[in-house]
Amino acid sequence: MNDLTNDETQALAKAVGLTLHEPELSQATHSLNAIREEMAGINPPGFNLEEYVAVVQDADLEDAV
Amino acid sequence: MTPAEIPFLSATQLAAAIRARDISPVTAVDAYLERIAAVGNRLNAYITVCAEEARAQARRLESEAAAGHWRGPLHGVPVGVKDQIHTAGIRTTDASKIRADFIPDADATVVARLKAAGAVIIGKTNMSEFALGDPISSWFGPARNPWDTARNPGTSSTGSGAATAGFLCATSLGEDTGGSIRGPAANCGLVGIRPTWGRVSRAGVDGASWSTDTIGPISRTVADCALTLGVIAGHDPKDRYSRREPAPDYLANLDGGVRGLRIGIVQELMGGHGLALDDRSRDAVTAAAAVFRELGAEVAPVSLPLAPYTGTIVRTITSTERVSLNPEWLRERFADYHPNTRVAFAVGNLIPAQVYYKALKLRALVRRQVLQTFREYDLLLQPTSTAPAGLLADEPQAVTSKEMAAAALREGSFRGLYSLSGCPALSIPCGFTDSAGNGNGAPALPLALQIGGPHLGEGVILRAAYAYEQATTWHQRQPPPL
Repeated sequence: MNDLTNDETQALAKAVGLTLHEPELSQATHSLNAIREEMAGINPPGFNLEEYVAVVQDADLEDAV
Repeated sequence: MTPAEIPFLSATQLAAAIRARDISPVTAVDAYLERIAAVGNRLNAYITVCAEEARAQARRLESEAAAGHWRGPLHGVPVGVKDQIHTAGIRTTDASKIRADFIPDADATVVARLKAAGAVIIGKTNMSEFALGDPISSWFGPARNPWDTARNPGTSSTGSGAATAGFLCATSLGEDTGGSIRGPAANCGLVGIRPTWGRVSRAGVDGASWSTDTIGPISRTVADCALTLGVIAGHDPKDRYSRREPAPDYLANLDGGVRGLRIGIVQELMGGHGLALDDRSRDAVTAAAAVFRELGAEVAPVSLPLAPYTGTIVRTITSTERVSLNPEWLRERFADYHPNTRVAFAVGNLIPAQVYYKALKLRALVRRQVLQTFREYDLLLQPTSTAPAGLLADEPQAVTSKEMAAAALREGSFRGLYSLSGCPALSIPCGFTDSAGNGNGAPALPLALQIGGPHLGEGVILRAAYAYEQATTWHQRQPPPL
């Protein structure tokens, strides 16, 4: 996976209405690249059989909602 | 007992002394306020000290006690409350310039319950800005660790840890998203419990991340922790996700011991697996496990293969969720955040949707692993943190590399299992560093054990923690005089 450049991070930020300035632009790029790389490396057995469901599943709690 | 000695009582001792009329609520509150005035600036634990309100409340409680009316188990006991928890008529700042003048109209449910139990809100405690895990981001300056004021008291409930360990309140409330109760408890040598998600109402609390936020006590002893949790736990119709099961009397059930309990030690968090665990933390937890074995528990290693990745998964989810709150501030007040908060919030906005969704799927797997493990084990043990409290001066002023950011993600794995699964977990002191090992004559620093349990398992966690506490002497140590 290629790391994002600062220019690419800035483009992503513009897409959500933010403008980043140095040094925060570089810091955000480092953090984003770390998250992307670390997350890409987590591939446990059974992952593709898993789907996210609501965090709370207890029937009594569903009644409370 | 002189007034100056009162703050050094535990919350349970103080409550009992007030009930026995040995100490009056006014005397207790004055004793704490005088200590705060004398040494509070060493710790910067409070954003707002509620001196006037606390004294007025103490006078009311004293009148009520004279008339034979006792509100509840915290009658007259001074409590510190993290500054993201709303207090009617008292500013609630989230440690941010943006909220510096916000005064809520109503109390959060947990504050209302504290007051109903007779507690006196002595002050609003410092924290990381908007409860992010950064010890230097508070608009009001960083709180400091009473064991060594050059050190981090633990995030994000920095002031709750500092105030409680520094004897500036009898017990306190924190908020734990990815470890913000357990971290300050660990760094400050305290007992803090992250309750089951939904066990304690979050109504009236400024959120950090809706699916992981919990409110809980940070206290000096297990009994204080049980007492405080018992007051705030229970269903609240104002919080649609709060659990309906009635809260048990945690304090009354501390004496059950651990004989026969099945306790697992999470192997992936005891060294290796890409996590930088300090030998002293590992050795202290290993020794604590031996204590549980001697007390009659069955202790065995257990594997949770996803544990080393939970920090990254938690951060991905919480970073995304937290920027869904008050998005207008990101556009209109961006410059008013601390620089580190700006970076964190920018990242939360830019995490790709597929990365977030992968984190949600991984969360489901983690949750399954944790819940399946609790079919075979009553409790799990592990270190709370990688290492004892670090120096505030060493805290990163900026993220200077991808590797540095990745290391911070992995460190969160020591608290991630419970943030992701919604299960409760408690941090308790399990040793101290050799002061010589800290360099420059620094004082000994606390090391911490984390005890996790199944959903709604706060009772058995507290019971085990109490058995451990009574079998050891770590809780008897006090920070150096301020």
